[in-house]
Amino acid sequence: MAPKKLRRARLSQELCERLSRYQITTCQDFLCLSLLDLMKVTGQSYRNVQKLLCKVSLACAPKMQTAYEMKVRRAVNPSSAFLSTSLHGLDKVLHGGVPCGSLTEITSPPGCGKTQFCIMMSVLATLPVSMGGLDGAVIYIDTESAFSAERLVEIAGNRFPAYFDSDEKLFSMTRSIYLYRELTCGSVLKRIKSLEEEIISKKVKLIIIDSVASVVRKEFDTKLQGNLTERSNFLARGASLLKYLAEEFSIPVILTNQITTWLSNGLAIQADLVSPADDLCLSEGASGGGKRESGSVTAALGNTWSHSVNTRLILQYHDLPTRQILVAKSPVAPFSAFFYTVEKSGFVLQETDSE
Amino acid sequence: MQRDVGSLPLAPALRARLVAAGFQTAQELLDTGPCGLSKEIGISKEEALEALQVVRQECHSDATQTAGAPGTSRKCTALELLEQEQAQGFIITFCSALDNILGGGVQLTKITEICGEPGVGKTQLCMQLAVDVQIPECFGGLAGEAVFIDTEGSFMVDRVVDVATACVQHCQLIAEAHQEEDHLKALETFSLESILSHIYYFRCRDYIELLAQVYLLPDFLSEHSKVRLVVIDGIAFPFRHDFEDLSLRTRLLNGLAQQLIIIANDHKAAVVLTNQMTTRIGQSQSTLVPALGESWGHAATVRLIFHWDNNQRLATLYKSPSQKESTIPYHITVSALL
Repeated sequence: MAPKKLRRARLSQELCERLSRYQITTCQDFLCLSLLDLMKVTGQSYRNVQKLLCKVSLACAPKMQTAYEMKVRRAVNPSSAFLSTSLHGLDKVLHGGVPCGSLTEITSPPGCGKTQFCIMMSVLATLPVSMGGLDGAVIYIDTESAFSAERLVEIAGNRFPAYFDSDEKLFSMTRSIYLYRELTCGSVLKRIKSLEEEIISKKVKLIIIDSVASVVRKEFDTKLQGNLTERSNFLARGASLLKYLAEEFSIPVILTNQITTWLSNGLAIQADLVSPADDLCLSEGASGGGKRESGSVTAALGNTWSHSVNTRLILQYHDLPTRQILVAKSPVAPFSAFFYTVEKSGFVLQETDSE
Repeated sequence: MQRDVGSLPLAPALRARLVAAGFQTAQELLDTGPCGLSKEIGISKEEALEALQVVRQECHSDATQTAGAPGTSRKCTALELLEQEQAQGFIITFCSALDNILGGGVQLTKITEICGEPGVGKTQLCMQLAVDVQIPECFGGLAGEAVFIDTEGSFMVDRVVDVATACVQHCQLIAEAHQEEDHLKALETFSLESILSHIYYFRCRDYIELLAQVYLLPDFLSEHSKVRLVVIDGIAFPFRHDFEDLSLRTRLLNGLAQQLIIIANDHKAAVVLTNQMTTRIGQSQSTLVPALGESWGHAATVRLIFHWDNNQRLATLYKSPSQKESTIPYHITVSALL
């Protein structure tokens, strides 16, 4: 999204030439100047400069829609507003499933099942709309080399045996999952930038990045000076690019994150606490009243990242083999927790008696 | 009439020529007339006429200000202000504890800032206010419309539908209990559709779109004169990354704050901003503070901070010109913030 050139804001040719002599070529440069500066560079009176400002702003400002129009558009194709996770309890609480058009984060300690969840969602996205899928391709950016195609086929075959009854169907499903292995932050960012064209050409309906945390934490050591801002910049740029893609094409984006520990004595980064559900020892009732045992855990990547994701699901261990999935942050759902196990067919929710 | 030529809002080149030609006051310009001016400075008669019209308008508005004519000037006595403040309404939030600490609700003509950690309920409150501002007057509302500027993409239509449905039901219950004529008439126009149609939504992806939209807001508000609430959800997000030049950021933010204050005053609207929290690393511990720096703290008149205490959400009134500092608990339910 390069900044718009002034010529496209319908300013006159001679004005554009005059402004380019002062190195003002884009709308961004124009709007960042104060009114007095603008009068100086354009050579126009106060009133004319205000009119010019309105003209340039009109070229840059977003279009208005009323909330009613948005609702009507949603109602026209309701199935395209969510990607069902095929976990009934979770879907109900989330009003349909993983929302399209926003970022969803799955975070957990190692081994809880983030990659399994991502593989399961990839299968679901390729299913036809009648079965709750999005009938589209999947872009899977793998930074940990944890994706297993065999597991993908196993989940598909066991979860939907009636649909994937032939090898032909399995192969066509695997053909629509595009896997990219990126091992550095720079290459991940480059890949995200190139996704816009891929989404259109391959009819992609789901983007998965597994995992953001591993590649960021490998490269940025937050104890070194300057790295914290670099890291935040990278994360913020990645988040805004992904949000743009999610909203522009109305597709869900799933990201995975890791868990980090923080020590209670010394620099207690309480800021990383997004919600009580994030503080895993709290939700297990281990400590309370502000007392933190040393080695408490919370989601990694810091505060700014937590602001950027719209939905956050946390996986954690319960009594093996049962684990727990929590909805920690969601604009439509309250805190909820479900128990699940990881089977051959992927995630299986344990139905509680109260259901 | 004694206004100095150098202070007139003319094009800089023209101004420089006038000063170089020896003109000192605006009165001299007006006495010379367009033809004389064009001959002396060497500009065309049309340009001279235009310049004189600008000068005349400036001097006229100066004169009315010194004469004390109401309307164009921005001064009044404290008594007039008191009457205005008492008559003006608040936007209620349906959370009585929150309304109490705010002194009745979100005030019009002031900027209210809501800071909080992610997931604490800032967007929920904004969506609720966008619905509450539309409550008809007979139910205690303002019967206004709302502008929602979203920079983070967290506006969920489904959630607004939930809140709006609950609000309509709530008003219906009141109408049934009281059975008054104007209640029932107001309910005819207060429906889910009308509420949603009067929330004007703008999605700004970066700070340029946000700046452009705020420049265009006064015209938009003049066209839609019933707007009583402007929400900017996520004023921090577009300014927190990709900004190497911090002084530019401070200047843009200050300009934005000034424009919003002018909008709030001129159109009698409430401006609500949401801000993020950032970590400030101190010597022995790190604390959470509102983002965007110290100078931004001066922009908002009223500041609310939402935070957690164990499993309870709390709201603290941190800065207010008329209410004292206090903290209250609140919940987020299916229908509202309580």
